[in-house]
Amino acid sequence: MKLLEAELLETRQFLPGQWLHTYAAPWLATKARVGQFVHLRTPDYSGLVLRRPFSLNTFDRSSGQVTIHFRVTGKGTEWLARMRPGERTEMLGPLGRGFELDPRSRHLLLVAGGLGMAGVRALADEAVATQRRVLLLFGARDASEVYPSTLLPPEVEYEVATDDGSFGFPGRVTELVPRHEAWADQCFACGPVAMLAALAGVARGRSDRMGVARLGGRDGRRSAGPRPAPAGSPLARRRSWLQVSMEQNMGCAVGACLGCVIIGTHGPQRVCREGPVFAADEIEWEQLA
Amino acid sequence: MSRTAPPRSMAAEVAVDLSVDLGRGLVLRNPVMVASGTFGYGVEYGDVVDVQRLGAICCKGTTLRPRIGNPPPRVTETPAGMLNSIGLQNPGVDGVLDKYAPRWAGWQVPVIVNVAGESVADYVEVVRRLDGQPGVAGIELNISCPNVGKGGLQFALDPDAAAEVTAAVRAATDLPLIVKLSPAASDVRAVARAIERAGADAISATNTLSGMAIDQHRRRPLLGATYGGLSGPALKPIALRVVYEVAQVVEIPIVGIGGIGGLTDALDFFYAGAAAVQVGTAVFADPVVPLRLIDELEAWLAERGYGTPREIVGAALPARRDRPSVKGVEYRP
Repeated sequence: MKLLEAELLETRQFLPGQWLHTYAAPWLATKARVGQFVHLRTPDYSGLVLRRPFSLNTFDRSSGQVTIHFRVTGKGTEWLARMRPGERTEMLGPLGRGFELDPRSRHLLLVAGGLGMAGVRALADEAVATQRRVLLLFGARDASEVYPSTLLPPEVEYEVATDDGSFGFPGRVTELVPRHEAWADQCFACGPVAMLAALAGVARGRSDRMGVARLGGRDGRRSAGPRPAPAGSPLARRRSWLQVSMEQNMGCAVGACLGCVIIGTHGPQRVCREGPVFAADEIEWEQLA
Repeated sequence: MSRTAPPRSMAAEVAVDLSVDLGRGLVLRNPVMVASGTFGYGVEYGDVVDVQRLGAICCKGTTLRPRIGNPPPRVTETPAGMLNSIGLQNPGVDGVLDKYAPRWAGWQVPVIVNVAGESVADYVEVVRRLDGQPGVAGIELNISCPNVGKGGLQFALDPDAAAEVTAAVRAATDLPLIVKLSPAASDVRAVARAIERAGADAISATNTLSGMAIDQHRRRPLLGATYGGLSGPALKPIALRVVYEVAQVVEIPIVGIGGIGGLTDALDFFYAGAAAVQVGTAVFADPVVPLRLIDELEAWLAERGYGTPREIVGAALPARRDRPSVKGVEYRP
């Protein structure tokens, strides 16, 4: 974690109201792990007192570039959208704990709803770089909000669902999951709470017989009677078939203010510190509804 | 009208002694502290902030037993401010002592433990357990948290209740004792006087002010706990008013808190009568604000030939008196 100045290299409104920013931030690009985020400085303390957290949408060590994906929803993102290439902003990061990829998993299922794409997008790059197969299921309200496939690596299989049926599968993205769940060793999701809760319902209790649990130990034996994973540990996340990237209003983003907690099965969890990625079975979904 | 005093002389810059004495042996190297609740236990910012340079750290509110806090969401931005309703989530006094005090004991920077409770007995017991523990440099008595159901704020609204809890805690410890006021008291001067008489070494002012926000889409209160404490620049004029009023009626040092984001904010509080300041919400926007403020304050004082910030404390008060006024300049809502 560092405070660093990042220069905006490219800004692009690729969907109505949705922007992609590319920054030069070599240190960040080197240190980041998939699923982590940055806390961006807004311009004027007297007006906007909080930073804005953004998932590291992509990061590339060789070019030293990171991207963030955001929708204009208020004053902070309005200001961001007005930034011009060459201008600088201050980032705090990389922050939080990212996704846990099991070294044995070959098939990754990514599920994104709307802006949730930013939460799992970096996983697509990681999967391709490590020769894993990746299927990305994306849900949007309508065709105008569908994330363009041209922004994804060509190796990614991409299926789209729209609520109004104007593009791809008509219905919820979660309805696409059952036909792929047996294929997937691990599943990673980011999006609206209702979507994540529905997915968690699908995944509940299946971690034991699906995903990496089924792949056996490193020496090929089935991992019977695995050592228990401490609650909230990376191992617990890796054992969970479904890992989710959560969002919450945030203050400090380093774990000091306790502002961004959600309720987990073992107490309040700071999204900025214990998260933003959690094992789906370690979240009290009823409390979030 | 100039907000800053003119340079006293064009003579060479003098060495500035930034230290400030908050009483009972609590001498800070500089008057810039970080406010409770915004800086955790001093460990969270890691290498980003050199905490050892701070005047002091006020840790997160500590209660007798662990508390899981309020339901989320707990924070939201508001015009020139923010609301929080953390609800005093903390591991309890024993947890804090186990987990953090050993590290604090090796630090140069004094750590002042912010103490909250639901009853006088709670406060006394927490303080009794903190008394004499290595790493605990002082107590900030949080009698003004708006985010807990029972107790809490009630102690800061009534002079008698404030005096009772202050006196009880005073009897339980020789640690330096700062009592934190609420801007919600109808007459903060009476509360401050009662606290001073009950044996507090210093007063900090102020805590947040209760407010709320609405979730437009769901048409219901945005925060999980409905109400939250307002902090940030929006609170500054109110906190300044409280410091200004209190400074006229007590002789113990006052620590100003409320929307301080830079040098001019801090100077306002010094002029209004604060001997030290705490930076809170501004840390979220920029974690190094407190460190920058120390440097800027030192340079500002040196440039103007002041040897210590004490020379500007209270400069804006109505008239300098030998004894504090019984009445003081009054806030008339």
